[in-house]
Amino acid sequence: MLLSQRGAFGLLLGLFMAAAVQAGPLAPLNPQLTLESPEASLVSAIELAREGKISESVKALETLLKAQPNFRLAQLIYADLMAARSGVRGIMADDQDPRIKELFEEARLRLDQARFKPAPDAVPNGVLQLSSEYPYILIVDLPAARMHLMRNLDGNLHTVSSRYAAIGREGFGKEVEGDLRTPVGIYHVTGWKADQTLPELYGVGALPLNYPNLWDLFKSKTGYGIWLHGVPRQTYVRAPRSSEGCVTMANEDLLWLKPYVANNWAPVILTDKLTWISKAQLQDERDIFLARIEAWRKSWAAIDTAAYLDFYGEDFSTSGQNKAQFSRHKYRVNASKKFISVDLSDISLFRYPGEPMLLAEFTVTYNSDNFRSVSKKEQYWRRDKTGQWRIFREENR
Amino acid sequence: MKRTITCLAAAAAILLATPSVMAANAVEEAQKMISQGKLEAALSRLESQLKSAPQDAEARFLRGLVLTRLNRNEDAIKAFADITRDYPQLPEPYNNLAVLYAQQGDYEKARDALEAALATHPSYATAHENLGDIYAALAGAAYNRALLLDQGNQAVRSKLSFLNKVSEATGGTQVAVAPPAVVTPAAAPSAPALAPKTTTPSASVTPEPAPAAPKPALPATAAAPVPAAANQAQDTASDNQRAEVLKAVNAWAEAWSEQDVDAYLASYSAGFRPEGGVSRANWAALRRDRVSRPSRIRIGVSNPTVAVVSDGLSEADNLMRVTFRQEYQSNSFGDTVTKVLELRDENGWKIVREYTR
Repeated sequence: MLLSQRGAFGLLLGLFMAAAVQAGPLAPLNPQLTLESPEASLVSAIELAREGKISESVKALETLLKAQPNFRLAQLIYADLMAARSGVRGIMADDQDPRIKELFEEARLRLDQARFKPAPDAVPNGVLQLSSEYPYILIVDLPAARMHLMRNLDGNLHTVSSRYAAIGREGFGKEVEGDLRTPVGIYHVTGWKADQTLPELYGVGALPLNYPNLWDLFKSKTGYGIWLHGVPRQTYVRAPRSSEGCVTMANEDLLWLKPYVANNWAPVILTDKLTWISKAQLQDERDIFLARIEAWRKSWAAIDTAAYLDFYGEDFSTSGQNKAQFSRHKYRVNASKKFISVDLSDISLFRYPGEPMLLAEFTVTYNSDNFRSVSKKEQYWRRDKTGQWRIFREENR
Repeated sequence: MKRTITCLAAAAAILLATPSVMAANAVEEAQKMISQGKLEAALSRLESQLKSAPQDAEARFLRGLVLTRLNRNEDAIKAFADITRDYPQLPEPYNNLAVLYAQQGDYEKARDALEAALATHPSYATAHENLGDIYAALAGAAYNRALLLDQGNQAVRSKLSFLNKVSEATGGTQVAVAPPAVVTPAAAPSAPALAPKTTTPSASVTPEPAPAAPKPALPATAAAPVPAAANQAQDTASDNQRAEVLKAVNAWAEAWSEQDVDAYLASYSAGFRPEGGVSRANWAALRRDRVSRPSRIRIGVSNPTVAVVSDGLSEADNLMRVTFRQEYQSNSFGDTVTKVLELRDENGWKIVREYTR
């Protein structure tokens, strides 16, 4: 796509080709994008140019650039149009320039995503069930540089808006401090850091995440300070891969996002592979998994310790205990019980990104003849060799 | 832009149902004063004429040109804008307006003015060519913003880069006003015939490039000379170094004159950074075009001074600044600028920086 000698309309043609190759027949624009959004304006200006309506395209870009002069991608497309119009040879930007390549990549991702429209009943496959304690969830499609804010309505997810979000310079899959990657995993927003407390790099503010989470700690991942944040005011957005591991977005998008997620431990899924599946299919998977968890609960409440322990895989561990130690502990505790009641509430079920693993989060209300407690559990389930889901890791939060 | 007298007269002939002898005399007198360099006198003459005949389009047009030449750009803009309001069908005032806007760096307004000129006169060659340059300038400015160049000083830089290109004596640029051309109808004969639609009855508008931006524009940048730089320009190089560096400059000028593009480009270091944030590749493409396009080019280098460039901390003697008078003459255009080349010794002196003062 990056030809060393671009002719007139080189970038635009390149974009059109990219769109044609990747999206097949063009889907209508995503209706979530209102005409006011800079991205929608940009995409429609590109469409106009593609239809040969150059003057209209130029006008649209000029209107956009008056409102968003720091939208560098729009500047580049405008520049290319003007360069082509000028008839002056040799003034087009050098498309081997890494800065041009970055903008080209941003253009490709934005066009792909702006045209992408999931089927009407499609939902992200990563969220099997979302507890009503979370009214919103943010799903960041890391390779696509896209974030989807979804509303949780009676257990069903509805897309509120999808916007551009840039990630780490070295991509995703953070392992160690300083690897310049954005983590893949399920996190929560821990609060809000205000503009005036931060350097200009962060733009209008930041939403810190709880990286490293319990799973990351178990996997000995290192690093800290993974946030969702804005961008310096001199730019509208940053290149798709540009941060040290944070997710960055337009300042106006961060301010838009803040009220949905800042104050309620909102879940944020940073995924390396977002797929959309039908609600029916999701429902099937949810039911299977819920039944498995319910069976686990029942065995516990029935003080059937052998059956209960059978839900735990051979490689199971919990803080400080392996399967054998955990089993001895359970047998000892349960030996004296006359009755146990176990209640599960606020159940959220996720397909954990980047791992063949399911995460169940819930509140356990435990009562027995000599002990009672309420706790938040995180359970990580994996398939064993026979294909059965078993608990691999369990932690209280 | 060569809004010549003939062109102006033609416009006026259409505008004025009954051109008065008096008015014609006033304009002729003013033109004579302009040719003698008496710009203020010409302005007074025109303004007194306009007191008695406020609608004398010829006088108004010429006044706009005089104001331009006096660097009173705001007044010139107002003068031409007023004419376009009264005579929207005339392309020339739009063209001149565009040139003035371009000088201010307001390329969008310049573009709009030229498009207005072309709306009534689609074959108006000067506006076409100017428009091409305006588009190029808009492209350059937008590229700069796209690449986050010169944050905080974008307008100035992009304007300068544009003017630098123009001042590099390019064959095809007509972006700025050429006051001398206004009063030298001698430029006209070389003009090829215009498309028939023009309002000009004879082939009087030269679609040929005018010595443009640099003249009115450069004094503005040179108006604030840096004394330190001037002092540095004293010869501080040894005789030996001086001879070597000047040899390289002469070879550069010779390659340019010979239109030997490869040798010309080879005069520049791999580390050469074009002014104005243009990428090296684009600069090279542009230079290749501009150096090869004219049918002939002659470059004169005179009064060179050679200075060791000091960064104020250490004095490296492998970086030299040569300041000289550069005379450019091609088949279509000529100008003289103060050129500065910085050369570094890389087993032979190569140009690492180039700008005009």
